[in-house]
Amino acid sequence: MNRPAAGRVGVVALRVVRQLKRDRRTIGLIVFAPIVLMILFGYALSGDMSGVHLGLVDGGGHDALRAHLVSIQDFDILRLGSESDAERLISEGRLDGAVLLRPEEVRVLLDASSLQIAGAIAAAVQAGTAKERAGLETTGRTKGAENAIVTRYIFGYDLKMMDTVGPAILGLVVFFFTFINAAIAFIRERSQGTLEKFMVSPLSRVEMVSGYVLGFSLFTILQSATTLFVVTTLFGVPLRGSPLTAMAVVLLLGAGALVLGSFFSNFARSEFQVVQFIPLIITPQIVLCGIWWPLQSVPEFIRPFSYILPLTYAAHALRAVMLKGAGVADILYPDLLALGIFFLIFFAAATLMLRREVA
Amino acid sequence: MREIEPAISARGVTKSFGRQRVLDSLTVDIPSGVTYCLLGPNGSGKTTFIRAIVRLLRLDEGEMSVLGRPVSEVDKIYSQIGYMTQHKALYPDLTVQENMEFYAGLYGLKKQQRVARLEELLEMVDLSLHRSRLAGALSGGMYQRLSLACTLIHEPELLLLDEPTVGVDPRLRQTFWEYFNRLAKEGKTVLITTHLMDEAEKCRMVGYMRAGRMVAEGSPEEILHLAGLRPILKLWLAEPERDAAQLQAQGYEIEVEDGVVQVRLESHAQIKEVLAQVSPLDMRLAEPKLEEAFLRLSEAA
Repeated sequence: MNRPAAGRVGVVALRVVRQLKRDRRTIGLIVFAPIVLMILFGYALSGDMSGVHLGLVDGGGHDALRAHLVSIQDFDILRLGSESDAERLISEGRLDGAVLLRPEEVRVLLDASSLQIAGAIAAAVQAGTAKERAGLETTGRTKGAENAIVTRYIFGYDLKMMDTVGPAILGLVVFFFTFINAAIAFIRERSQGTLEKFMVSPLSRVEMVSGYVLGFSLFTILQSATTLFVVTTLFGVPLRGSPLTAMAVVLLLGAGALVLGSFFSNFARSEFQVVQFIPLIITPQIVLCGIWWPLQSVPEFIRPFSYILPLTYAAHALRAVMLKGAGVADILYPDLLALGIFFLIFFAAATLMLRREVA
Repeated sequence: MREIEPAISARGVTKSFGRQRVLDSLTVDIPSGVTYCLLGPNGSGKTTFIRAIVRLLRLDEGEMSVLGRPVSEVDKIYSQIGYMTQHKALYPDLTVQENMEFYAGLYGLKKQQRVARLEELLEMVDLSLHRSRLAGALSGGMYQRLSLACTLIHEPELLLLDEPTVGVDPRLRQTFWEYFNRLAKEGKTVLITTHLMDEAEKCRMVGYMRAGRMVAEGSPEEILHLAGLRPILKLWLAEPERDAAQLQAQGYEIEVEDGVVQVRLESHAQIKEVLAQVSPLDMRLAEPKLEEAFLRLSEAA
């Protein structure tokens, strides 16, 4: 065997540099993708939250705690009349939590489906109570300082991390694989000449994309069923709603991922270039969809972007179905509607991109 | 006699890619019910012309009609067109039969018709014994044959075949040509691009393209005639000079080389007439080659 020679290594390196120089997209990816991802991860992991909707049922007392909660700018405080109002609004997803102030106690109601937000509210109450206790000690009035904080999770149990992210991971897995597989499948249709042949056949572009959606859907059903089985049995993630509703969400998300993959296949010339879409298309969705970090921790100027990503809606809907037992009617707006609109937009875009004529 | 409308008619067809003009005011009529061979060197515009016929390319200038319809409406008659690209357009992870069934389904063949057609074509392309093999596991020639079978599955009226016989062995190539000619006899039009001159000679009509233009067009005999190439009858005679003078006096074009009298014929029918004048000791007919004709015509163009 030849001994390694620096000259040959140099020849290979030079060829790699030459190829990369001509591949502007790869250079762009090497330079800009890490910057974009670091910014996204940096903001998401900063721990700052804004837009947390907190209900406040004021039964008197606890002035320092009340003042502390109201002073937190990231909390939108909604004053409520009763505990039952607070419970209802949390169940409907319109509140992230509520604090009930009574002279004899402080009750905290939390939406356990997002542990991070629940944690932020609990921490704020703790901090407010500590302030209150410190104030009482200063004035020598210690009565009431030992008031208990009663925490109650609206869904009746304390969820683990996997319970809250599990449903969303189900969506992520299907989205990731369907997007990649669809993009590669369409690139192959181009490279092996079958796409050109379709163009000269009675098959319309709509029929072609629809055929793909249908074919892939069968695998998405299988994929979602097995993933659902694993997260519920192996990891004990609760499934309070219907598995069929959960699978319907995944199916709609999968259809969206397929047409998105088909659309983006127009911008890639090889399977290698499809892989380059992962940091651009997949990773931002992971960061911004609210699976790992609640949307409230995404800075406000990036947050609108979260609301155009399908995984945001799928994750929200799957959490609602699996953790809260929501039915189709509960997740129709905005989740299923948003997923449906996303699918239709990219179905049209993917179809239009399959142009027959070349100018 | 009523003139039959050409299967493809192109008038002043022009197409450029950037600054490169690939089709340059191309005008051609391809009659219905013939095998028409489109010849020409690489980059002469053959494939571009075929892609323009099926509207995969938008023309810059000119008009074209396909099976009696303007090219802008060709998508309405795709079910009557069989298009075989150089890419072969097969799924390597499907079997031979599955590939054929897929294309049969695409063209809406009913089950009974599909089964019969499948058997007929598998026989024709000699793949009956390989129907269960994955297309990706086939040899290059077999792959090519499967691609042709898929193109023919829906019995198209107009066949556009871009280099259909590349990698096919001579015996099967012969079968293919017999099949193409049979289709033409049934009234179907077969337009084929090829680099092989001997294949062009099997076509009823030949068009020679160069730099996006049609340099010469007609039957192989007409092309040869156009290039001034004619069959030569070589005669070994007992008295060559006397017989040569006699034939020359009768108006034949004669050359004597190393004692062999060479008669340039207008047509093969003249052989009998020449032999009525002289009695050769031996003779040989030298047929002109299309290749030479095209070289001459290219130089002239």
